[in-house]
Amino acid sequence: MIELLNVSKEYEGGVKALDGITLSFGEGEVVVLKGMSGSGKSSMLSLIAGLSKPTEGEVIVDTKHISKLADHFATGFRRENIGMIFQKYNLIADLSVKENILLPLVPLNLKGGELEKRLSKELKQFNLLDKKDTQVKKLSGGEQQRCAIARANINNPKIILADEPTANLDEKLSLEFIESLREMKSEKRTIIISTHDPLFFDLDFVDRVIEVRHGKVL
Amino acid sequence: MNRFINFYLLSYSVGSLKREKYKNIFVFLVMSLLVALLASTFFLSNAMKSEYNTLIDTYPDIVLQNQKAGVNSTIASSIADKVLLLDGVQNSEARVYGSYYFNRADRKLNIVGINMFAPSLSPFINILMKKYSLDDGQMLVSRGAKALLSKYYYKEYFNFVKSDGSLKKMQIVGTFQENNKLPQPNTLVMLKSDARKIFDYKEGEARDIAIDVANADEVAFIARKIEQLYPSMKVILKEDLRVKYENIYNLRSGFFLTIFIIAFFTFFIIIYDKLSGLNSEKRREIGVLKAIGWRVGDVLNAKLYEGAILSLSAYLTGIFLAFVYVYLLDAPLLKNIFLNNYNLLKNYTINFSVDYETLALLFFLSVPIYIAATVIPSWKIATLDADEVMR
Repeated sequence: MIELLNVSKEYEGGVKALDGITLSFGEGEVVVLKGMSGSGKSSMLSLIAGLSKPTEGEVIVDTKHISKLADHFATGFRRENIGMIFQKYNLIADLSVKENILLPLVPLNLKGGELEKRLSKELKQFNLLDKKDTQVKKLSGGEQQRCAIARANINNPKIILADEPTANLDEKLSLEFIESLREMKSEKRTIIISTHDPLFFDLDFVDRVIEVRHGKVL
Repeated sequence: MNRFINFYLLSYSVGSLKREKYKNIFVFLVMSLLVALLASTFFLSNAMKSEYNTLIDTYPDIVLQNQKAGVNSTIASSIADKVLLLDGVQNSEARVYGSYYFNRADRKLNIVGINMFAPSLSPFINILMKKYSLDDGQMLVSRGAKALLSKYYYKEYFNFVKSDGSLKKMQIVGTFQENNKLPQPNTLVMLKSDARKIFDYKEGEARDIAIDVANADEVAFIARKIEQLYPSMKVILKEDLRVKYENIYNLRSGFFLTIFIIAFFTFFIIIYDKLSGLNSEKRREIGVLKAIGWRVGDVLNAKLYEGAILSLSAYLTGIFLAFVYVYLLDAPLLKNIFLNNYNLLKNYTINFSVDYETLALLFFLSVPIYIAATVIPSWKIATLDADEVMR
């Protein structure tokens, strides 16, 4: 499903985030990438999503060489196949819950009925029905996180990438988030979580835990 | 799916404008006012230029004036007959006209003398002559003059005070509407013989000689012939007058060119501010949009809608305000600045006309520039890696 072949990533100023990584993730697999801040976990997710290009090596997602795709096609591929959940949620604070969740669908110009159907499913699933017209800046951290998951999920992506998803949540809300992941797992999504939160390390639905340190897989 | 307009994207753009409402309202107001100011100036200046061109078209091709001590003096009416004998001259008329100072009102009344048995070179006077018949001691008054005289209880007649202190009583037998073919306000039309008595002209004297030439290409040539015939007199060509008036209006247009430059300087400061880059919040938003699947084209379309909605609505508002100011309110203040002490068009009311060139000029100098200033910084960010932008 996802393959990283001898992938390195170096940022401006010579900072090496990933150093010759070769890894693969199977369809429907839930994998936790664990490691300290700056170990290269987020860079790995970014490469899988096609948000950046590797300095060396190749990233193949669902048979597509995403690291070689032009930005236009990489974005199109991401839109159809990948849902991203960010550490800081990356919601647009002045937009409502509904507007944020629908953002990935805006460029698709779908019919109103289809849009409403998908929205109402997400609002129900993530318990946001009564908040749909509230600006996200007025939501609690947990509600914002649920909104971010709903946005990642609205395109029914095959792959969910979550970057430090519980870093800003207390334990109760983190457990709520984990329940959401369990539900996604039951829908046969491939889920890759980058985290150093110990709550994720011995979950029954996690297939593998991979440790990343100094840009290498241990 | 609507392939032409993505209403969700449009709605996102409107929302984006609302999110920075104070800044955008400020830009909208500044742009609207700039467009309104410039459009008003252009509308007024162009309308007046076209108006004086229409007016000058009604002037005779050549005017011959007698000069004494460097100022205009009366001229012998018989010269009109002599000039008419020159080859190429189509018509000539000894004109008796001038202004009479109405001291009670502290206003000038403009008197035009006519001959009921000979057509005038003025088309407007000819139309009046077909409608009315005047006898000695009778006059027609323009609506403006009628209102002015009525104010001082001269409703059926008016007493002119001649230079020797005696009175010349004239009966008002009709009124007519002033229009743009009649240069002066408060006009009175009477027989030349009566006008001569009021101005204290002798029989056979006139203010000047108006001459029309059959072939427009020969005007300068005929003018030279007249100069040779009457070397002490002043020969004025219609085209010389046109140049003189154009110079006056160009001078005033120059004044407005300064306003124009200041206005666009202000506009370009706004543009420069936009082009100098996006704040970190906006950069992050573009990064997020790309991360969730917006292509560069989608981001640019959203920004295009944003720029177009703001600049187009500001442009249309500005043009609307200019139309209201110039054509409905008659351009208070601006019209006075344009006319100043110059009274060629003193009775001038601005006629409605759509000046497409001005509309297009203002459009291209405002809307596309603003849209480009909105789109270009976003394009710079959107073409970077989303990961880099969000970091």
